[in-house]
Amino acid sequence: MSPSLFNFVDAKDKFTASARNALIGKTSKPLVNAFNQFPGHEAEKKTTFDQALRGVLGDQIVEQKANCDEYLSLIYLSIDAVTEGICSATTPFLLLGDVLDCLPLDQCDRIFSFVEKNVSTWKSNSFYTAGKNYLLRMCNDLLRRLSKSQNTVFCGRIQLFLARLFPLSEKSGLNLQSQFNLENITVFNKNEQESTLGLKHTEEKEDGMEVEEGEMGEDDAPAPCSIPIDYNLYRKFWTLQDYFRNPVQCYDKFSWMTFLKFSEETLAVFKSFKLDDMQASKRKLEELRASGEDVYFAKFLTNEKLMDLQLSDSNFRRHILLQYLILFQYLKGQVKFKSSSCVLHDDQSAWIEETTKLVYQLLKEIPPDGDKFATMVEHILNTEENWNGWKNEGCPSFVKERTVDDKPKRPTRKRQAPEDFLGKGPDAKIFMGNDELTRLWNLHHDNMDACKSDSREFMPSLDEFFTEAIEQADPTNMVEDEYKVVRNPNYGWRALRLLSRRSPHFFQPTNQKFKSLADYLDSMVSKLAKELPKDIPSEEIKTGEEDDDDNGDNLLKDSNDSPSIQSKMVTNQQMDDLAAKLGAEWKALASHLEMKAAEMREIETDSEDVDMQAKLLLVAWQDREGAQATVESLVAALNSAGFSQIADCLNEA
Amino acid sequence: MGPVELLHMSVFSQSFSPCGRFLAAGNNYGEIAVFSLSAALSPDATALSQKPVLTFTAHEGPVFSLLSTDCHLLSAGNGEISCWSWSDLTKKNVKPLWTKRPNFKSSLEIPEINAMVLNTRDNSLVVGGGDNNIHILDLEHGIFKAVLQGHTDYDGAVRMWDSRTGQSVHCVEIYKYESCARPQYGKWISCLTTDSDWMLCGGGPSLSLWHLRSLSPTSIFPLTGCQRQTSFYQDMILAVGEGPSVAHCLLGGEVKAQIPCTPQSLNTLQLNTNSAEHRMLTVGGSSNHIDVFTNLSYRAFSLSF
Repeated sequence: MSPSLFNFVDAKDKFTASARNALIGKTSKPLVNAFNQFPGHEAEKKTTFDQALRGVLGDQIVEQKANCDEYLSLIYLSIDAVTEGICSATTPFLLLGDVLDCLPLDQCDRIFSFVEKNVSTWKSNSFYTAGKNYLLRMCNDLLRRLSKSQNTVFCGRIQLFLARLFPLSEKSGLNLQSQFNLENITVFNKNEQESTLGLKHTEEKEDGMEVEEGEMGEDDAPAPCSIPIDYNLYRKFWTLQDYFRNPVQCYDKFSWMTFLKFSEETLAVFKSFKLDDMQASKRKLEELRASGEDVYFAKFLTNEKLMDLQLSDSNFRRHILLQYLILFQYLKGQVKFKSSSCVLHDDQSAWIEETTKLVYQLLKEIPPDGDKFATMVEHILNTEENWNGWKNEGCPSFVKERTVDDKPKRPTRKRQAPEDFLGKGPDAKIFMGNDELTRLWNLHHDNMDACKSDSREFMPSLDEFFTEAIEQADPTNMVEDEYKVVRNPNYGWRALRLLSRRSPHFFQPTNQKFKSLADYLDSMVSKLAKELPKDIPSEEIKTGEEDDDDNGDNLLKDSNDSPSIQSKMVTNQQMDDLAAKLGAEWKALASHLEMKAAEMREIETDSEDVDMQAKLLLVAWQDREGAQATVESLVAALNSAGFSQIADCLNEA
Repeated sequence: MGPVELLHMSVFSQSFSPCGRFLAAGNNYGEIAVFSLSAALSPDATALSQKPVLTFTAHEGPVFSLLSTDCHLLSAGNGEISCWSWSDLTKKNVKPLWTKRPNFKSSLEIPEINAMVLNTRDNSLVVGGGDNNIHILDLEHGIFKAVLQGHTDYDGAVRMWDSRTGQSVHCVEIYKYESCARPQYGKWISCLTTDSDWMLCGGGPSLSLWHLRSLSPTSIFPLTGCQRQTSFYQDMILAVGEGPSVAHCLLGGEVKAQIPCTPQSLNTLQLNTNSAEHRMLTVGGSSNHIDVFTNLSYRAFSLSF
């Protein structure tokens, strides 16, 4: 059976009727019911429903009886309808657009408040993709209708709404090419003929727009100028606005010279005319707050008579100084869309640096809270640099991509890392790959402990060092002063160092004043001589015994290197015995002897007999160790392999 | 006037015309220059409008004092006083109406005349001379009718005289007051001005505000250097002296602002109260430029000799 033809007109009428019912009842039930009851394809019904709703709105507007609330309730209905699924998602936006196009601005205000309130709805998934372009177009249309100077708050609200609606990196609101609003011209009286002072102004009353540009719009005939006017400053001051309007002019040499001259004069005036009237500005603020009005001026008022007042106003000054800072930031900054001819010369850059400092100083001096304002401005300009950089890069998105964690794990190393094999052998031996290095490196397994060993104690004892001096001090030896070793300055300072480390006499305060180091040492030596009993025996005995003592000392010193008797080399006999005892278990020992698998295989292939294999193992070990093939290390390996009995046997041998 | 003379020029005195549209300034070469203020303030002023409309030599020595009456300009030079008619001067006619010389005791040296004040009540001119005396000239009859003697040379004293008896009624030695005294600068007084019950004086001692009835200092102003001329203006005190700035001070003794100006040190300060359209402050000093302030807080432009 072929589906029946969709009767559009009928559907539309039914839906329209249900919409009106719904409006009256303030519920979307009639809509749902009508939708469900009518036969037809869903898509067709949806589009028909859209049309119906738009028709209802159109009628409402044409009737002009409805007020904003009724329009809004219809739009609420449409939102509900979308959630119910009976009309397409773009319908609420179309309705909004229609309403705003047809209403005067004061009512648009109310409709817009509705739009603002429901920003979360617009951002929800079902509405966002469908509606964002419509919303953008709608807001732009509104902005075009509004005057920035008269409806500043409304314009601001629209901008803020757009900022909330779109993601941070949305480019539609951007001034992508950093273009300037060249139409923002500040008008002022350049020639004396144009000066409105003393003129009757009846012709200006008719043109209402004049309010924005120059005059305050007085209602009575202006009095003849009652105060002297500084035309020079007036003209130069307002000419500067042209440079702020179009900064690219600054790159041209002649314009730059003019800008420089005028700026210096203006800034000199700011510098000498210091604002310090805190009292007056506080009162003004309170008055403003009390009156409750917020007054905004989007353009400067450039009447000559106002110049004096403007100069003594702190907010005005802040505006002008801020304009300077923004201009300098543009001139200095890297903007992708600046043409290549826009480069600053060195002296221009230098002047800009200097003047920036002056401007910040002037900002800090402006009451109230000049310092805070200046730091805030600096901070804002710094963040502006970031935005500039972002634009230069082509506005990349701010969303950070989640990094995919699929880096393959690196294959395990075939070769062992040094920490794996160094210091792991028996006795924590370190194999350096070269016998000599290995020997050197393994003199002592712990370097720090090795440093602390007695053999590294190089500082002599007191008696050792001072023996000679004490001998010489003895008057019976009759050593002449000039040959005394204490006179040797080299000996002298070493003696002092030794005394400071070893002798308490060094720290005892004395009243004696020593004329020279040698005298001091003489006294020290005599003190030491009394103290050290070894030196009291006579020199003859000393000389005889000395040699023996020295020899004995030497012997003792030598033996320090090998503290344990057991650190002998392993003999062949011992190795044979060991091999016999080890037998087949030589493999267990092999790992503790740091034998490589290759070597072990070699041993296995070399001989069938396990005893022989054990012997081969030991021989290989001995070859490798060389001088380090000590009984001690073998014993340690045996112990760690679990052959403690065999180790004991070896020890006893 | 070559460039060297211009460098060495100092402006010692100024006076606004009774209509307020002209300024007369006297310099150390004995010249008086008349500037047209309406030309200088007009929207189409050029560098030429900042030059005098008329310059003439009035005296042999420096013109230390200028004073304007209803229609005359009085100038004091080396021991002589000349009177000029403003209307003649605007027509560039430089013939003095009269020249008088006070009776100085000594004939060897002619003392200069430092200051002149008009006593409107009995139409007399009070003249202070370098011979430490005050001479009173009766303008109606043209004779010097009295001499007030009492000052000694740079004695640092402020004297109040009774004009009828010719006696010094009060004598205040400013430098003797510790709060004002600045011994490093000396004891001489270089500026003095009064306003009903108040007196401002300074020089060697710091600029101080005195209450005349009690003859005691009320506020001391911490300005460096000697102040050469001061004036009361609305609720402020303006002072100029050694130093390239005009000081704005409050009655309480604090210095509110110091506005920089061209001459390195200033000798004279005048406010044009005769014309509202040309209301301005002008200062002159050790330079051939006279700075004009239309807004008291910054220098607008300079007139030059």
